Amino acid sequence: MTGKAALMLAIAAVLPPAAIAHHSVPGQYDPEQRIALSGVIHKVDWINPHTYLHLEVTNDDGSTTNWRLESAPTAMLRKARITPDMLMGGGAVVTVDVILARDGTEHLAWLYRIDYPGGHSYQLSAER
Amino acid sequence: MRTTAKPSWTSGFALLALTLASLPVGAQNGEAATPRLASGVADLNGTWDNGSGIDFIEPVLEGDSICLAGCNDPPESGAPAAPLPPDRPRYRPEFQARVDDLDARQVDEDPVLRCFAPGVPRIGPPDKIVQRDTEIVFLYDDVSGNFFRIVPLDARGHPTDTVPGYLGDATGRWDGDTLVVETVNFNGETWLTDDGSFHTPDLRVVERITRDGDALTWRATAYDPAVLAEPWNLRPRTAYLTGIEITEAPPCIERDLGHMVDDSSHDNPR
Repeated sequence: MTGKAALMLAIAAVLPPAAIAHHSVPGQYDPEQRIALSGVIHKVDWINPHTYLHLEVTNDDGSTTNWRLESAPTAMLRKARITPDMLMGGGAVVTVDVILARDGTEHLAWLYRIDYPGGHSYQLSAER
Repeated sequence: MRTTAKPSWTSGFALLALTLASLPVGAQNGEAATPRLASGVADLNGTWDNGSGIDFIEPVLEGDSICLAGCNDPPESGAPAAPLPPDRPRYRPEFQARVDDLDARQVDEDPVLRCFAPGVPRIGPPDKIVQRDTEIVFLYDDVSGNFFRIVPLDARGHPTDTVPGYLGDATGRWDGDTLVVETVNFNGETWLTDDGSFHTPDLRVVERITRDGDALTWRATAYDPAVLAEPWNLRPRTAYLTGIEITEAPPCIERDLGHMVDDSSHDNPR
């Protein structure tokens, strides 16, 4: 696990799955590998069929790792009036709740939720 | 247990669903008058929120926080509402094996996963309707891109010189206050649903659209007797007039299929 803020979390999948994806999330990401990361969202790929957020995580040795966090389609975010600028949070350090890619691809994850330092959050996917 | 703080989306604050907020006052009061054009036909003009093409998105605001999915806490008592049964066409027996095979290999075969147009009726109700007496234009803001369909109303009939397409060729007529759209001339390269429901180029789709107040009801029936055991009547869908305008769709760039660890079960319910 890269990133000093990475924290393994146990899973309690108590909520029914809600489809918010263009493809199978469980087919690509593993709900049993759920972590929290802290970092700066420095780029948002505002593309279909899924958006991607790029999270820069500072490691223990001071180096940085870029995580790719897949999220909802643009039309769904727009329905919630969420913009790329809102997601980036002005460059503040945010905490994200994600599940990791099943195929072992490093630093690729599905995004459940972002918590911002001001106290607000964007929950972008139901738990799987 | 989750160790991150999770707000209760249903307690402590008055919740505001964005979709409800976007509804005109008349719809919120339950009024159901059907607006009409000067010609007397139902006025279907407007931008219609049908759940971004997928009927499960109900964003919830709580202060500056936004919840897009999984917003509601489990009910404290009583069983949760049962999910709706799958809405799928029924095939002639000799074609069921092909459907099953395609279903098992969705990741390899589903055109929508590769950003192709969803086809009709899979694309669902239009996101925006522009109407005049001689034609109606359906506009779509889909994950695969922006699409349009021009529906002539002047009995010009289906053209004979067009190349079969993903969205086919449509003509329309009024049946009372119901707009009836018949679409043919498909290329046969789309699916009816996400689970291998193929069709032939001879597919014919009839959509029926009615407006009651600020609600639009979309019904569709797919006819393809060469492969379907019977016409498929889709579950009706309702869209609501919204002030959230559709926009230019960002490019559809598929990045996921190479990471899928199985070939099936994408859970987009359309």
